[in-house]
Amino acid sequence: MFRRFVVILFVLTLALGTMVPALAQDVIELEAWVAFSDHRYDWAVDTADRFNALHDDINVTMLSVANYDTIVNNYTLGREDGAYPEIVQLFDAALQFAVDSNWFDFAEDIIAGRDEILGHPVDFDDIIPVISNYYTVDGVWASVAWNTSTPIMYYNVELLEQAGVMEMPRTWADILDACAALQPLVDDGTISACATWPFSPWFIEQWLAQQNEYMVNNENGRAGRATEFNLDTDAYRAIAEFYRELYSNGYFIYEGFDQWGPPTQSFTSGKVAIMMSSSAAARAISEGATATGFTLKTTGMAYNQDAPDGWVGNILGGATMYISNGLAPEVQDAAMAFLLFFSNTENSASWHTASGYVPVRNSSIELLKNLEPGNELLWDIPSGARVDIETNDWYAAFPNFLTASTQLGTSTVNNATRGSTYGTFQQSRPYYGGVVEEYMLNGGDLDAMIAETNAELTELLQEYNFLFADE
Amino acid sequence: MEEIAYSVHPAIVTLVGALLGAGYFAFLRWQTQAGGLNISLGVGALAGVIGATLLTAPLGYCMFQADQKSEDIIIGWIAVLLGLMLTLNLFSMLLWRYFRGQRLLPRGDTTPGAFRGRFGLLYAMTVLSPTILVLVFFVYLPMVDTLRFSTFLARFGAPRTRFICVSNFSRMLADLDYHSNLFLSFALSFGIIIIAMSLALLIASMLNQPIVGANIYRTLLIWPYAISPLVAGVIFSLLLGTESGIVNRVLDLTLGVKVPWLVTVPAAQISVVLASVWNVIGFNILFYTAGLQTIPKDLLESASIDGAGAWQRFARITFPLLSPFTFFLIVTNTIYAFFDTFSLIFVLTRGGPTESTFTAMYRVYVTGILSSDIGKSTAQSLILFLIVVGITIFQFRVGQRRVQYGNY
Repeated sequence: MFRRFVVILFVLTLALGTMVPALAQDVIELEAWVAFSDHRYDWAVDTADRFNALHDDINVTMLSVANYDTIVNNYTLGREDGAYPEIVQLFDAALQFAVDSNWFDFAEDIIAGRDEILGHPVDFDDIIPVISNYYTVDGVWASVAWNTSTPIMYYNVELLEQAGVMEMPRTWADILDACAALQPLVDDGTISACATWPFSPWFIEQWLAQQNEYMVNNENGRAGRATEFNLDTDAYRAIAEFYRELYSNGYFIYEGFDQWGPPTQSFTSGKVAIMMSSSAAARAISEGATATGFTLKTTGMAYNQDAPDGWVGNILGGATMYISNGLAPEVQDAAMAFLLFFSNTENSASWHTASGYVPVRNSSIELLKNLEPGNELLWDIPSGARVDIETNDWYAAFPNFLTASTQLGTSTVNNATRGSTYGTFQQSRPYYGGVVEEYMLNGGDLDAMIAETNAELTELLQEYNFLFADE
Repeated sequence: MEEIAYSVHPAIVTLVGALLGAGYFAFLRWQTQAGGLNISLGVGALAGVIGATLLTAPLGYCMFQADQKSEDIIIGWIAVLLGLMLTLNLFSMLLWRYFRGQRLLPRGDTTPGAFRGRFGLLYAMTVLSPTILVLVFFVYLPMVDTLRFSTFLARFGAPRTRFICVSNFSRMLADLDYHSNLFLSFALSFGIIIIAMSLALLIASMLNQPIVGANIYRTLLIWPYAISPLVAGVIFSLLLGTESGIVNRVLDLTLGVKVPWLVTVPAAQISVVLASVWNVIGFNILFYTAGLQTIPKDLLESASIDGAGAWQRFARITFPLLSPFTFFLIVTNTIYAFFDTFSLIFVLTRGGPTESTFTAMYRVYVTGILSSDIGKSTAQSLILFLIVVGITIFQFRVGQRRVQYGNY
């Protein structure tokens, strides 16, 4: 009796197993990998759910992957054995790899001149130019912009005013002056030091762009494939010298290579007056400042006042959404429709309030300046849901959130500020970051270090090109 | 066919192998006075030829070609030496068995309970096959791939690869940064092993005392080992941050000082050692506690009746009897220190400041995983593998003589 029961159960299970997929066949399943696991991931899941509610026949599932590096690695390995998502978020440094791997269909090719896809309008016209230019490869829009950031300065207003600094610093010289003025507060133990920020290679890239300088040849790899590094420049030297001056005067607390947590902690707890960080941290830093009880003010990333062209502009950072190639046309369209929804005016505005990543559209900025009740744009972190922004003008109420948009919006678009693109981007970061780190901490022969590193990086780049470039 | 120009002709390499093999076997013959000289010389020469070609011939003797750099030729000779070490040892063992009239291959276990009879081997293999399959697919085949990739310029996702002979290795030979990575691996490992083992022995000895709640202490002390090195790194980065770390907070409040634990030399190196020690010490305590319980009480009692003090009992009885455990722990701790600490370093210092905690294994991770430069990183991992195998063989040779496996 029992045996018969088991057999019947087995047959039933088999039958169900074959029937359920048949029933569900009409729904297009899409998987999207994103490199967040905090409230930013919650926002993405919520937005995917909103999209799913609009389309009975599409189901987008978000999957959280540890970080940008891991996502690239996992996707690469996934390609080897055929288990990869339809949509993947790749960070800026992976742009060249995304192009060279031939694993993605470019957004502009998928859209192919259409005005809308599955009811979601295609309007890339109001995307901020420096953003659209970054992800344009050979004149083709490669991926859909989502989380876009840029470095900005964060100031503790009370501390600076206590030291008599009434104007927020804008240049490297301003920062050094402010630090000299703040030194008495350090000496009497009120604060630990004048400034701290993550020692990240990303800032070095930004400062090169600000000074209108290229990281690699062929105009940052934008005019043709990059084949050589371009570290032997006054701009790069100036960055090393600035760090050295900050550090050797005791103005700057160094918390390790590419460590983001400790500097943020020091600043938000009021122990340091000046910090630089991604605009993506604006939301978290604002809340930290409020909790500690100081007034936060932001400005654009400090620049080298002695650069021949002054401040030219900044590069964006962050990541974009790519669509895997080889999908069936209806799946490809579903993925594209989702990304259009994901980055539309309302969602781009809401995403900005959730994090501090800049809204990629000018229309989103306009929307945030002219709010109405029932907007449901503010991401409420504790409840994990959208609520109304209860003000007419988000930027009037939260002026620190406008800094990043202004910085990118006023950037001159050229091949320095479009940022470099080359295959060994992520591999090279510790090298050119390491030279500045070594010089900051120990001094030494900067020219010799630059020459050696430039040669090493060029060799790595040429090896990469040999494996990837078209013959 | 075009003639390939060599700076060292393969024939010479083979001849050198044959001569070295014959010489070594003649030396063995002279030392042991066993068997015939001619057969020794013959087998020695054969072993030498196989050894010299084992690692060089599959690569087409590329490292000895005229267009290679002097470093490549050095790597070539190292490959010859490694091949010789392997074959000479194997053949001398076989010859020794032959001279003593034993079967060349051990016959297998004939004690009761072994798999015998017509289907014995088949049955044994069937039962063993899951293990063997797992080993083959997840250990041996990847190792073969590692060997192969180490001679290539290769990246994940690249449409092509390029055979570059032993350039990945010769580049390391010339790379001063890599030398300091290796040196650092040895130095940090030495520190980790010495501290983790002596401290573990001390703690285990104290735990062996009859105290109230010994079981609870034991559990709590072993617990850090259950934590992965990565998580240990996170815990220590929260403890040791310059401005926001708990340790500096306490130091600042009590002594008014802040130590830049993770961003200065040698504090960063000391921090990495201490964090690793904390991570691995539970494992050592576990084994030492077990070891101490195997030491016969009557031996210690009679020693104390004879007037031996606590230190004498420890030095003359306990420590020597613990030697199998010590030996085992040295081997496992070496492997931990060399291979497992990279994730801890990744979280704690990113190899910094200025590469002062950049160990050789961390380099493998950065090159292979973060930069997907798999040719170079497999070559680096092979070097590490050889080093750890070398250390382990050395430990077995030196250690085993002093280890006492008692029948108590």
